[in-house]
Amino acid sequence: MDVSRMNPIVAPPLRRSGFFADIVAGLRSLLQGMGITFRYFSHPSTVVTQQYPENRATLKMFDRYRMRLSLPHDENGFHKCTACRICEQACPNGSINVVSRKGAVTGKTELDRYIWRMDSCTFCNACVMACPFSCLKMNGDFECSVFDKSLLVFNLTRYAGPTSTVLMKVENPEERRKLWEPRDVYSGPLPLRGTELPGGGKTLGKPEEPARSET
Amino acid sequence: MGSGWETTTLAERAAEAMPGSLLAGAGYVLLAVVGASLFVAVLGMALIYAERKVAAHFQCRLGPMRVGPHGIFQTVADTIKLLFKEDIVPAQSDRVLHLAAPFFSMMATLLALVALPMSPIVQVADMNIGVLYITAVTGFGVLGVLLAGWSSNNKWSLLGAMRAGAQIISYEVSATMSLLVVVLFSGSMQLSRIVESQADGWWIWRAPVVGVVAFVIFLIASLAEISRTPFDLPEGESELTAGFHTEYSGLRFAMFFLAEFVNMFVVSAMATTLFLGGWMPFHIGGVESFNAVMDLLPPGAWFALKSAAVVFLIMWFRWTFPRLRVDQLMKLEWKVLLPIGFVNLFAAATAVVFGWYFFPF
Repeated sequence: MDVSRMNPIVAPPLRRSGFFADIVAGLRSLLQGMGITFRYFSHPSTVVTQQYPENRATLKMFDRYRMRLSLPHDENGFHKCTACRICEQACPNGSINVVSRKGAVTGKTELDRYIWRMDSCTFCNACVMACPFSCLKMNGDFECSVFDKSLLVFNLTRYAGPTSTVLMKVENPEERRKLWEPRDVYSGPLPLRGTELPGGGKTLGKPEEPARSET
Repeated sequence: MGSGWETTTLAERAAEAMPGSLLAGAGYVLLAVVGASLFVAVLGMALIYAERKVAAHFQCRLGPMRVGPHGIFQTVADTIKLLFKEDIVPAQSDRVLHLAAPFFSMMATLLALVALPMSPIVQVADMNIGVLYITAVTGFGVLGVLLAGWSSNNKWSLLGAMRAGAQIISYEVSATMSLLVVVLFSGSMQLSRIVESQADGWWIWRAPVVGVVAFVIFLIASLAEISRTPFDLPEGESELTAGFHTEYSGLRFAMFFLAEFVNMFVVSAMATTLFLGGWMPFHIGGVESFNAVMDLLPPGAWFALKSAAVVFLIMWFRWTFPRLRVDQLMKLEWKVLLPIGFVNLFAAATAVVFGWYFFPF
């Protein structure tokens, strides 16, 4: 080993001045810190704590908060999912199972059921990032506790059928009604276990109500 | 100069009542024990609750909110929980010392409370060497810490205890140096006399500049002595787990914890007594109408308010300042506080000799 390259241990340079300057600078910086903390202390508006069960009515979760996966449905009750399965492939632990079918009228592949296993989901957001149609979203609904974990496997779509774009091209509402059929939270290819339990699908935090404008 | 306040101590009143009968004596002793433990327990719980609330608001939090309105019963619940927890003694420890150590710490704190004048009528004993007594007795607390660290047979405990020893011994010098300033000005070591000497004004401003400097040095040095942040190296959790009380649990841990918080009160009470006029209302010599307004508040309330202010200041320090490194700690004491303390003491002596302060008698 080259001795000349090693860092020699040297004493810090001897300073003969700056004793009081150091004290004044130190006190100033300490007082500055105290000023900042006192501002927090004297302004209760800076408190960020949420008093959760009490403020349940007014609590608004943040945009980036990731909890329940949802497939947002538009005002007509239709979503934009084409059942392309990119989210299913993006999912690192197989929590998503997209079940597709051949549309009876259109003859094209369309979404039948979108099954999501919340019990194995790690909320990594990979499915949302992967979706080419931006039709997935992790919303802030965190009150998802249930007494049976099989209730945590459920279906996200409210109908089996093509996307809203395809559906809205059909002008006649009666014609349109033939293209889709309703799906609920717990009925699957085989009925999901939640259907067998007392209460059916209604036990889950806030089941998405089937808002149908046209039936 | 008489201040017009009648002062008695609890010890004097007990001595008057005692000769009556043996039963009365025993009753007084019992009353004293119950009173002291109640005072310490309530004070400790109140301080811990205050600390948690103050800390929370300094950090944009709310602190305890659930047990009782605004969580005021949180510390009561915590204390009961601590009392019922298992008291674990490590197998390889020095059992007797391990069990005894918390009592040494607690005793030092309790002994210091004896001499504090909390109001003209609430003071347990008024000895003529009060300042010296308190300095000596608070130094006794390090024995408990050292014993705890040694007997635990744990490297963190031992390191923490050694740090505590070095720290307390170093900073006692500066603390005493700043106490001497007030002793010089008031010409007495008796705490009640020191309080009465501040009837015309508190020493922090009556002794120009030297009073403030002494107060600041005393505050810094006593913070180090009671191992409060920013001088909490003996129990620095990021380096030493919990320092000297790593191996303690249950009631004995509660003892250390309580001693720490009551020590904080002792320091604030000392700062109040020596620099902020103790139980004396805020008076300016000669301004009678102003003094009369200030007299409306009873002396006990003045003492409580002043102590609470200093306690708040100490908590404010704790939640603002970062912890010092060991070498910085020693540098601060021996290279900064001690020289300034010496110069300050000399200046104070000069001021006393020539009467260069407000309202010299």
